[in-house]
Amino acid sequence: MKRHLTVAIATGLTVALGVSGCGKGSSSDDGGSDGKSIKFVAAIYDSNAEPYWKALIKDFEAKNSGYKVQLEMVDWTQMDAKVKTYIQTKQAPDLLNYNSFSDFARDGLIYKASEVVSPTTLSDFTPTFVEQSKYNGDQYALPFISSARLLFYNKDLFAKAKIANPPKTWDEVKTDAEKIQKEGGATGYGLPLGPEESQAEFYSWAMNNGGGWVDASGKWAINQPANVETLNFLKGLKDAKLTQPNPETTDRKTVFNQFAQGKIGMAIGGPFTKAGFIDPVNKNLNFGVTSLPSKSGTEHNTLGVMDLLAAFKKNDGKNKEALKKFLDFLYQKENTSTFLKKEGFLPVTKSAGDALSSDPYMKQFVDALPSSKFAPTSNPAWSAVAGAVKQSLGSSVANKDPKKVLDDIQKTAEKSG
Amino acid sequence: MTRPSKETSPAGAARRRPLRLRTALLTAVGWLVAVGFLLPYLQMALTSLKSEKDLTKSPGGYLPDHWTWSNFVDVWDAAPLWTYLRVSLIVAVAATVVTLACALPAAYYTARYRFRGRGAYLLLVLVTQMFAPTALVIGIYREMVALNLTDTLFALVLVNAAFNLPFCVWILHGYFSSIPKELEEAAFLDGAGRVGALTRVTLPISMPGVVTAVVYTFIAAWNEYIVALTVTASPDRRPLTVAVPSFVTQYQAHWQYLFASSLIAIVPVVILFVFVERYLIGGLTAGSVK
Amino acid sequence: MQDLETRARDAGATARPSRPSALRRAGRALTPLVWLGPSLVLITVVVLWPVVEMVRTSFQKISSSGVTLGGNGTTNYTDLFDEDDLIPVVLRTLGWVAGIVITTMVLSLAIGQLLNSRFPGRRIVRWTVIVPWAASVLMTSLIWKWMLDNYSGLVNRVLLDLHLIDEPVNWLAHPWQAMLWMMWVAVFVSLPFASFVILAGLQTIPEDVYEAARVDGAGPLRTYFGITLPLLRPSIMIASIINVINVFNSFPIIWAMTGGGPGHSTDTTTTFMYKLAFYDQNVGESGAMAVVNFVLILAMVLMYLRAARWREEVR
Repeated sequence: MKRHLTVAIATGLTVALGVSGCGKGSSSDDGGSDGKSIKFVAAIYDSNAEPYWKALIKDFEAKNSGYKVQLEMVDWTQMDAKVKTYIQTKQAPDLLNYNSFSDFARDGLIYKASEVVSPTTLSDFTPTFVEQSKYNGDQYALPFISSARLLFYNKDLFAKAKIANPPKTWDEVKTDAEKIQKEGGATGYGLPLGPEESQAEFYSWAMNNGGGWVDASGKWAINQPANVETLNFLKGLKDAKLTQPNPETTDRKTVFNQFAQGKIGMAIGGPFTKAGFIDPVNKNLNFGVTSLPSKSGTEHNTLGVMDLLAAFKKNDGKNKEALKKFLDFLYQKENTSTFLKKEGFLPVTKSAGDALSSDPYMKQFVDALPSSKFAPTSNPAWSAVAGAVKQSLGSSVANKDPKKVLDDIQKTAEKSG
Repeated sequence: MTRPSKETSPAGAARRRPLRLRTALLTAVGWLVAVGFLLPYLQMALTSLKSEKDLTKSPGGYLPDHWTWSNFVDVWDAAPLWTYLRVSLIVAVAATVVTLACALPAAYYTARYRFRGRGAYLLLVLVTQMFAPTALVIGIYREMVALNLTDTLFALVLVNAAFNLPFCVWILHGYFSSIPKELEEAAFLDGAGRVGALTRVTLPISMPGVVTAVVYTFIAAWNEYIVALTVTASPDRRPLTVAVPSFVTQYQAHWQYLFASSLIAIVPVVILFVFVERYLIGGLTAGSVK
Repeated sequence: MQDLETRARDAGATARPSRPSALRRAGRALTPLVWLGPSLVLITVVVLWPVVEMVRTSFQKISSSGVTLGGNGTTNYTDLFDEDDLIPVVLRTLGWVAGIVITTMVLSLAIGQLLNSRFPGRRIVRWTVIVPWAASVLMTSLIWKWMLDNYSGLVNRVLLDLHLIDEPVNWLAHPWQAMLWMMWVAVFVSLPFASFVILAGLQTIPEDVYEAARVDGAGPLRTYFGITLPLLRPSIMIASIINVINVFNSFPIIWAMTGGGPGHSTDTTTTFMYKLAFYDQNVGESGAMAVVNFVLILAMVLMYLRAARWREEVR
């Protein structure tokens, strides 16, 4: 027994020494000090993302000898936590692929856009997105991808329920849902109000009722009457059993899985929905895409979403040179459009725009972009608000009073500034 | 001082009264319990063999429509599983060794000797048992930055070793205390020295305690999640626990890969358990106490 | 114990009679440090340091991007106590811990006894009982989550086929049902360790104690409650302390299965704390919650130790 133990301990020690020996391996030198290597944290949109970045970086490093990009892929579900720990411990990457930036700008952590990309690249961004990238009048964020939300509907179910046209108004949504439920034997409307992205679903409805996150002067107005009315409408759908059970815990993945199986009549989705959610389950689904229904039926707004890149200040600006090189390379037309095509997103640059309009499915979203409204990402408190919305909005259709839920979120918003 | 005895001795109940019914009942209950404990993992195995399309069916089927054995091949391409396995293994083994190296002397000394500060030390051990990495994760991360250890396996080894140390000291202390000092004294008088008495007499008898400590630390380190999630960043420094859940993300749900890789992570540990289980319990009778 | 030490000292003294006694005394005082040193260093550096950081964080103002903006007095604490959800979360945590630990201990006493009895295939049953311990808690939670899935889950399928329910139940969406299922998963993953500690405890009970009871004519029930249970006390104590600590700090189960939702209705203090930091973006308040969490667990364990008279165990 003793010999066994000695052997075990000896083996273990060898391993342990090996670990401490190679603990700080080659790839963890976060570079920066020589100004030629940068660390890039990119988001995992789907399994295509990592191969794309790897190939792009390889290409970049081959064309710019001496420069190095260290890539880290982070899943969206872990991104918030990761970003926070990085920054709090002063380990921010040089470049971050994220969905908010204004609190970084407020805290002086990131470069202005003009400092890290060439004027050519800078002027290529579509103005709508430049607006979304500003904090206090200066552009900080670099728009990366965009997306718009439209109403997806199952044409077969609509035919079965004898509905000629997709709904334009909220009342039509409700009656159509009832018909689909009755005639089609499917769920009328798929409502994802789970913690995954409830802020997007909610805003898609609220903006078409004149509601939103802020009032005309830019102050938080989350508990405004239009928003309460919106939640009451959604709660009404759920109470009438026109949605899938338990919207408060459902995420988009589940809704579109059911949609693809022909078990849901309508749901709100984005350009990536077809390739990402529908095709893998049912390539032959007969569905259509139309503008988001509004309360009145006259004006239809679209939810616009923009993800971005933020360049962090490090080592007294020594990393600027490498960042500029990499970003200008990345924003070359063919490089950006490859990513958009692979992931099913919309362009943020003028040059990549044309490439996508040839696809009739994508064109609907590209066309919707000009009428799109965005979450107030330029407000530094937005990330806290989005967090509060994600975790508590769903309970408004379950066990809590919609007004009270919105009041609480308003409180969080005001507390965060 | 209680002496460890043999497992329920055949000289006892069994011989005196023939208890066939009792045995039959025990067997039935025993196997029922076994099935109960295995059921979720059986379901895990079945799910890992379903095709992606199979998984989206509602209601779900009991068995895969198509037994997709290729999932277990494809999963190695879907993610660098070897790397994750290696990281998990290195961290778990090294943490166990470090824990043991620190815990053994401390537990032995506090069990055998009275000295000033002994009570304080045992209280410290007891109190620090209550500290969970979950609650301290930001503090841990800040410290690793200060020590320039972020994104190293060494950091994971340290954290796992330190947080499991109190339990190991505690359990070893208990075992050492229960060993009659006479045994050791005899060896000591034979000229074995303090360390000799420890390694030749006390340790072998304490094997069950040592094995328990080893198993506990190893499993805890192998399964640790939240610290690995925040302290490591590079893909080649992530253990299985952190890597495996990313098969189901916001945009995709590869449950079959998730469970295939879970099984790949679970099976080696179960096998390890099968080997040490004798020591874990049976070790008590195997020793030279009797 | 004393004689061994005296003898050790004597042996040292005879071996080196010429050594000055002051030095020897100093050496003796330092001996414990040699034995305890490594563990002390490890505990201090890796466990206590983060605690200090945690307490410091709870008094700091940290911006949503994670930058430390300086001191914040007790604002984090007042903000925390202002949260409507705090009291329900704390109460739920206490119920969570109590429910799981009690159920685990009762079941593990039975399973430990079972594993200690002789029957064909016992070894295999022992192996299977270990499996949830060997499997990561996160992975076990994920398979339970999948089995409870509203659409494709096994649980709904079985209940539908048995005609116990008419339509699929979204178990994890209803706070109460979700809570009970998650507590069950927590019990499930706690059972192996607790059962094995009990089993090990059962085996240290000398056979002659039972012989004596039999001679006295004690029935099986009286033997169990009069002899087995009291003798198992140290094992029960170890198993339940560890269980309390693990369950109180259990993050993966709730995180994987409901994420504490909907809203905060299945949060315990640990997930609440995490969400304060990473959803509400308020690290300072989260630090305050961590401190409260810690005080809670300290109080619980101290109460437990008092009840279990730990001083006797240490002596």
